[in-house]
Amino acid sequence: MSSLSELKDSYDAVIIGGGFFGCRLGIYLRQSLKDVLIIEMDDDLLQRASYANQARVHNGYHYPRSFLTALRCRANFPRFVAEYPECIVDDFEKYYAVGKIFSKVSAAQFRLFMERIGAEIGPAPKHIRKLFNPLLIEEVFKVREFAFDAVILKDRIRKDLHKSGVCLQLGTQVEKIAPNPDSSIQVTCSRTRDPVRKRQLRAAKVYNCTYSHINQIISRSDLPMIPLKHEVTEMALIAMPDELRNLGITVMCGPYFSFMPFPPKGLHTLSHVRYTPHHYWLDEPGKPYLDAYKHLAAIQQRSSYLSMLKDVQRYIPAISQARYVDSIWEIKTVLPRSELDDSRPILLKKDYGIANFTCIMGGKIDNIYDAFAELEHLETKTK
Amino acid sequence: MTTSDCFVSVIAPLDNDADIVPDFIKEVTQVLKNQFANYELILVDDGSRDDTVEKVSLALKEYECMRLICLSRHFGTEAAISAGLDSAIGDYVVLMQPDSDPPEIIPEMVQLSRTGTGVVIGVRKGRGKEPFWAKLGAKLFYWYVRKVLHLNIPANSALMRVLSREAVNAITQVRDRYHYIRMISVFVGYSTQEYLYEPISRSGKHKHRSLGESINQAIDMVVINSTHPLRAVSVLGLLASLLNLLYMLYVIIINLVKDRVAEGWTTTSLQNAGIYFFILLILTVLSEYVGRILNEAKSRPIYYVLDEKNSSVMLSDSDRRNVVDDPLDSQTKTADL
Repeated sequence: MSSLSELKDSYDAVIIGGGFFGCRLGIYLRQSLKDVLIIEMDDDLLQRASYANQARVHNGYHYPRSFLTALRCRANFPRFVAEYPECIVDDFEKYYAVGKIFSKVSAAQFRLFMERIGAEIGPAPKHIRKLFNPLLIEEVFKVREFAFDAVILKDRIRKDLHKSGVCLQLGTQVEKIAPNPDSSIQVTCSRTRDPVRKRQLRAAKVYNCTYSHINQIISRSDLPMIPLKHEVTEMALIAMPDELRNLGITVMCGPYFSFMPFPPKGLHTLSHVRYTPHHYWLDEPGKPYLDAYKHLAAIQQRSSYLSMLKDVQRYIPAISQARYVDSIWEIKTVLPRSELDDSRPILLKKDYGIANFTCIMGGKIDNIYDAFAELEHLETKTK
Repeated sequence: MTTSDCFVSVIAPLDNDADIVPDFIKEVTQVLKNQFANYELILVDDGSRDDTVEKVSLALKEYECMRLICLSRHFGTEAAISAGLDSAIGDYVVLMQPDSDPPEIIPEMVQLSRTGTGVVIGVRKGRGKEPFWAKLGAKLFYWYVRKVLHLNIPANSALMRVLSREAVNAITQVRDRYHYIRMISVFVGYSTQEYLYEPISRSGKHKHRSLGESINQAIDMVVINSTHPLRAVSVLGLLASLLNLLYMLYVIIINLVKDRVAEGWTTTSLQNAGIYFFILLILTVLSEYVGRILNEAKSRPIYYVLDEKNSSVMLSDSDRRNVVDDPLDSQTKTADL
């Protein structure tokens, strides 16, 4: 790991955040720029939201109430699968069930919607149907949806970065950015473990890809915070009984749950609409900034795994044989407006307060292609 | 009793209860937190028009393990309870009225349910200041239900009760529109036990049912749970036709035996009146059943849910300040010193 003194004085682009979005953007920018630097606070890449999520490559099934999001998923799914074939885990069967009570869509609506967006959907075989409580589940569908292995993805990304010649600075945090008179940006950074010694760089462009931390650099740089909602979330890691081991099941569309293989650990992740979010807060202009990761580390949160399992048991009795292993706690950051229609649009703010400073945030891993399209669109517009 | 390891769900229907709901939440949460390792409090708002929902939403930020289910309009207490039962996850489910049922008795009732029987039914000590006709009517109703319908509903039984998971699973399978939990929790047949308690009055005023409401509910409960009245009038109808047959025989015999038959005004009118009485009675009961069949045949959901909200408790303010502190800010400050 390089020390701060090995950094150059000037870069064509500095990307803050070494998650999947930051890294993939780095590779993308390197196609047209010479010196691209990624600055990551942790000692490794893809440590936070890129790792601690349900590892789902969305194919539209998840958003039966947001046509646009579902269509974008349909477009991005094959691209992601084609670009990262070695990270795709498809050795399990995936089923979507529609709840009977409390559901916001009916089975007929769900099927119609998926047919309209062209997502594969078929009836589930009998032995799968038998797993469900018929009083609570209206219908079960077999679908085509994959998981990705975040650890393999990380190795692949690291290789890609190396191959394309993107510079990487781990264990380093960006403290603030400020505009230079020549419309470049001055970036002040320091080692995460040694914040006293500082280093300043010049960057023609700065990209803020820090997900939950997106307002950290913004507030430290005295810019108005972007309204965001942060949720403390918990996913239970479950060792499934044999009959559920090769399955991923999602129940739509209400206070239900989803479980799916979590390849890095050989376990399943279980998330529940009601019990996965523990509490939330909002970033708003004028409010003091709350550091999401420090908040997460500081709180003593009580696990809700028992509530999750108790509820799932009502729908799928076989899960009573499952064993709870651990929980993954993470901050989930969403745009407040997406709460209404359940969609997950990307956030892309160009020249946010400072010229050539761009903030990018996506809710899903394969949103990255939308971000590129939007960047290109904005680029041609300015020209 | 120490903290139990079982999961307890408490369901309370709310109907314009803004005045009492903050105290109720506070007391119930206190009891549950002290007594049970795992619990949830499910409040079902049955279309309140006052600020009940706002009051509960505030409490969701303060108390953990709470849920609010808002029905889309007023559906009645029984539908609200159904909505609660449909989403409760506990091993033991407690039903209670926020106004009149004391939270302190929850642990003891749950304990009874655990050690003894599946269903523990709260029974009020006396019916208090209810008018005479209400007491008499209630007595009559319970007698009928016990003797004729063979459902052993304890007299003066309240809504307050504890249901085991088995009982809840059985009850939620019954998706009738006339879903009287007092009857159904007995109907599903798990052994029941009574628990005598003194009701409280949080709001200070009694929510009395009117005579009309009470009679309506009694008819609904009987009709939906039993075909006994139908059978009774069938027997009555049979009896009436038998009497008519006898009367016809009598008329024929008289006609044959006597030469001059006086025009029998008395007997004719008696017979007419009798038959009309029976026919109308039978029609009444039939129409009751036809009405129920119609409603059941519609098979609409018992209730619609408008919204569901869950607890989202942030840290207390003192804790929060520690987290908000930006180390970079504090460092620059110390550097200045």
